[in-house]
Amino acid sequence: MSLLSIAGVSKRFGGIVANQGISFDVAPGELVGIIGPNGAGKSTLFEIITGFYHPDEGVVSLDGARLTGLSPDAICRRGVARTFQKLRPFQGLTVLDNVMVGALTRTRDVRHARERARELVGKVGLAEKAEAHARTLSTGQRKRLELARALATEPRVLLLDEVTGGVDQRTIPELVQLVRDLHAGGLTVLVIEHNMRVITAVAQRIVALQLGEVIADGPPDQVTRDRRVVEAYLGLAYTQ
Amino acid sequence: MKAVAPAAVVFVCAGLAPLVVHDAFLLDSLVLILIWGSAAAAWNVAGGYAGQISLGHSAFFGIGAYAAGLVVTRWELSPWLGLAVGALVAMAIGLVVGYLSNRLRGPYFVLATIAFSQVLLIVGSRWRGFTSGSEGIPVPFRPGFWTLGIADKRVWVWITLALAVLAYLLQLYLDRSRRGYQLVAVREDEDAALSLGVPARWLKVAAICASAALTAACGALWAQYIGFVDPFYVFSVDLSVKFALAAIIGGLGTALGPFLGAALITTVETYLRAQFGGIGTRLIGIYLIVYGCALIVMVRWVPHGLVGWIGERLRRRVTARAET
Repeated sequence: MSLLSIAGVSKRFGGIVANQGISFDVAPGELVGIIGPNGAGKSTLFEIITGFYHPDEGVVSLDGARLTGLSPDAICRRGVARTFQKLRPFQGLTVLDNVMVGALTRTRDVRHARERARELVGKVGLAEKAEAHARTLSTGQRKRLELARALATEPRVLLLDEVTGGVDQRTIPELVQLVRDLHAGGLTVLVIEHNMRVITAVAQRIVALQLGEVIADGPPDQVTRDRRVVEAYLGLAYTQ
Repeated sequence: MKAVAPAAVVFVCAGLAPLVVHDAFLLDSLVLILIWGSAAAAWNVAGGYAGQISLGHSAFFGIGAYAAGLVVTRWELSPWLGLAVGALVAMAIGLVVGYLSNRLRGPYFVLATIAFSQVLLIVGSRWRGFTSGSEGIPVPFRPGFWTLGIADKRVWVWITLALAVLAYLLQLYLDRSRRGYQLVAVREDEDAALSLGVPARWLKVAAICASAALTAACGALWAQYIGFVDPFYVFSVDLSVKFALAAIIGGLGTALGPFLGAALITTVETYLRAQFGGIGTRLIGIYLIVYGCALIVMVRWVPHGLVGWIGERLRRRVTARAET
């Protein structure tokens, strides 16, 4: 039984093929990592799942219901939340107000949304920054903010685009632990990540993309030893 | 929670002013400040809260002015009915314009709104059979509240004050409600808002519709107060700029800001016209230069407007006092 299903998704931009016949299913509670070199089509796939791009072919569905064709906000309300690779906090709003916007998708009551937001801000470790404007945060803090904001929409599937990119080394373990906790709490997570140490530590399964196609799909130890993945992405040094 | 006390003081003072002040010039200024303040507040709903910066809002103002004027002159009905018709027509047009310009962002949206108001200027000034073309419409004075034929400026203060309070309350709703938070999220980053489940597209349209209807109501009352509708004035870019400028000077996305901005602009404009109007007509347009300079100064150095600036000062004073 799959929760998120990606079936034959293709996307071209002019002559460039960004996604070519991508198919895989994500089971409830699974944590799937997506790897691949720059330009492999990872982010394009995220944009398609969340409705920001419309695929040329193929269908994405959640729990059997078609998502393809819905607008991004409708897809979020169905239960798919995301973070952005290039972070996009609401700069002029406070951390708490940022998260409230997410919470207000699930409740009409502003006071209730504020309580819920405060809870989540604490959960991602930003309690002290709750009243600070988002523009004053560091990159690591912004990542947490985006995570809290996405969680506030009460997703069934969470899509994380580069959790550790641009974050300093000391902060990485905390973010990894955060993702682990969320997964342990039963959330289904799809994560794009370049840091192989991070992805092998958290993912139960890895899907590798190259030039818009799936070249490997399986448990981390198997995918990281796959000849094509090593050649396309990891490099021989990784296996030695 | 944003405090309503300052606004309550401002509106109560405006409401009591006619009991104390009897000078016709001052009362006239107050009526105009309340009308321009309401129009700036209406503009603020779309421009300040939703981030849909329009320089074509005179279109909606003109629709309101024409609706009230035409309902009175062509069908001899009440201008209040004209106000309602104007608001509904403006809302319907706001729906179409909002829908068509939904995907335009930043300068492209601004250009579309300017173009739209200029199209209405052409319609208003050329459709002689219906709008009397470039001659404009003199609005007849028929005494009575129902016909808005009111000579007493004190009553006009209270009528326009009711409009201003309505505009203020709409903004207050946006300050505190779920839809308000969502609208501000759209202004800050539309894609991020969409990703969080905010129905950005229709919220933008709804904000433009509400803003259009309120702007038209301002236009309708203005036409009855002034007694003449001139297409080259009511559909002018100058007027659109005036609404936007009052909101920007007062504080974008703040409920009281547009009224402060309008008070300042109206006072300065009246003063400059009185000062330079006499020396031939060459300097009569000097207020436009002042508008331009004010806009540059505000956007560059006081981006959060007077309300933001005053708020910041007060906060600093409070924290300084707490530290000593």
